Amino acid sequence: MLLHGIISTPLPSSIRLKSSNYPQNLTITAQIPTKKFSISDQDLESRGFNLRRSISDLNLDHLNSIFVAVGFPRRDTKKIRVALENTDSLLWIEYSKTERPVAFARATGDGVFNAIIWDVVVDPSFQGIGLGKAVMERLVEELLQKGITNIALYSEPRVLGFYRPLGFAADPDGIRGMVYSRKQKNRK
Amino acid sequence: MPTNAIFTPSSLCVVHSISCQFQVSNQLLFPYNPNFGFVGARKKIKVFPLKASFWDSIRSGFLKNNTAQVIELPSKLSEEEEPLPKEIVLIEKTQPDGTIEQIIFSSGGDVDIYHLQALCDKVGWPRRPLSKVAAALKNSYMVATLHCIKKLPGTEGNDQKELIGMARATSDHAFNATIWDVLVDPCYQGQGLGKALVEQLIRALLQRDIGNITLFADSQVVDFYKNLGFESDPEGIKGMFWYPRH
Repeated sequence: MLLHGIISTPLPSSIRLKSSNYPQNLTITAQIPTKKFSISDQDLESRGFNLRRSISDLNLDHLNSIFVAVGFPRRDTKKIRVALENTDSLLWIEYSKTERPVAFARATGDGVFNAIIWDVVVDPSFQGIGLGKAVMERLVEELLQKGITNIALYSEPRVLGFYRPLGFAADPDGIRGMVYSRKQKNRK
Repeated sequence: MPTNAIFTPSSLCVVHSISCQFQVSNQLLFPYNPNFGFVGARKKIKVFPLKASFWDSIRSGFLKNNTAQVIELPSKLSEEEEPLPKEIVLIEKTQPDGTIEQIIFSSGGDVDIYHLQALCDKVGWPRRPLSKVAAALKNSYMVATLHCIKKLPGTEGNDQKELIGMARATSDHAFNATIWDVLVDPCYQGQGLGKALVEQLIRALLQRDIGNITLFADSQVVDFYKNLGFESDPEGIKGMFWYPRH
């Protein structure tokens, strides 16, 4: 049995494995990450920000108000619920003091090859302190852990500089993101 | 971002040749190459490394010296329209020997993954583990196919059914959908089938009220998709990829 994994919590510098506890052909490869995320889970927690990965405690009206605050059109919360229920991965940050969401990101896809990241938002009152980066880094990490390496998104021009340091490149090899527009079908 | 604009598509006409010879040369193929490096060129088939696959059908459909049979599809999509039939006959022709050949679009997602693998081989795509392909199809919101059905004269129920095209879309079932993996069998290219495949897929998605339909297009096929109603970089919004390999 081959056991191969990235261990996400820091390990003591010396690891002793007694061979008698394991089958003969067991190989353990441990990678001790030096710096996985820009801000660690502990850092976030100590500042009152809780990482959440399910929608069960997520108040969709609060989420919707963040969407509106950053300029998205207000969407029907029923539809938002459907969208989130059919979303493979999502992450949000709750501010423990108010118990309200302050950052959010989600990714849809086929679960194997491709993923697209949507709805990356940070409450304007909480922008600039690294929360957007925190959710993005963890969302990408989750997708990579699932084996999905084709990760894409659509970025408004003013936030291209936010995504670049996270490892995203625009129009690689001239590939263009395109959106269907009913107004201009068959325009020649 | 869903829009509530009234959708009035132009009529969908597929014009094709009844001749039995299919044009294969001068066709560009755009394989889907998500996890692999550049695939070398094969004879007569140009292969490009891409994030999503596309088929150039701009020159399709208007071959000279043809006796064309046009299938005109309903041109208006309104809220009162009945649900789209899962299967639509795009082309029907009768050959001199009495064989009836139909090209059928289906959004039912009935794909034999072995036939799909053979089709991917034909267009030159690198092979992907079948279990992963099966999972990807299962997790796709919509899988659209093109099949060629040949009804031989005198045979009852012994139809030949061949998978000749596929496209799929992932979605959150509410707001956004993204189209991936558009491919058409090289033997059937040049007839407007790729265009019809994508158009029907779009129609099916719009009928389910998915307002935001997106895709990623290689530079050579941006015009193909513009022709179908897609806009690149709308309002300056850019497609970005995480550490693209090529």
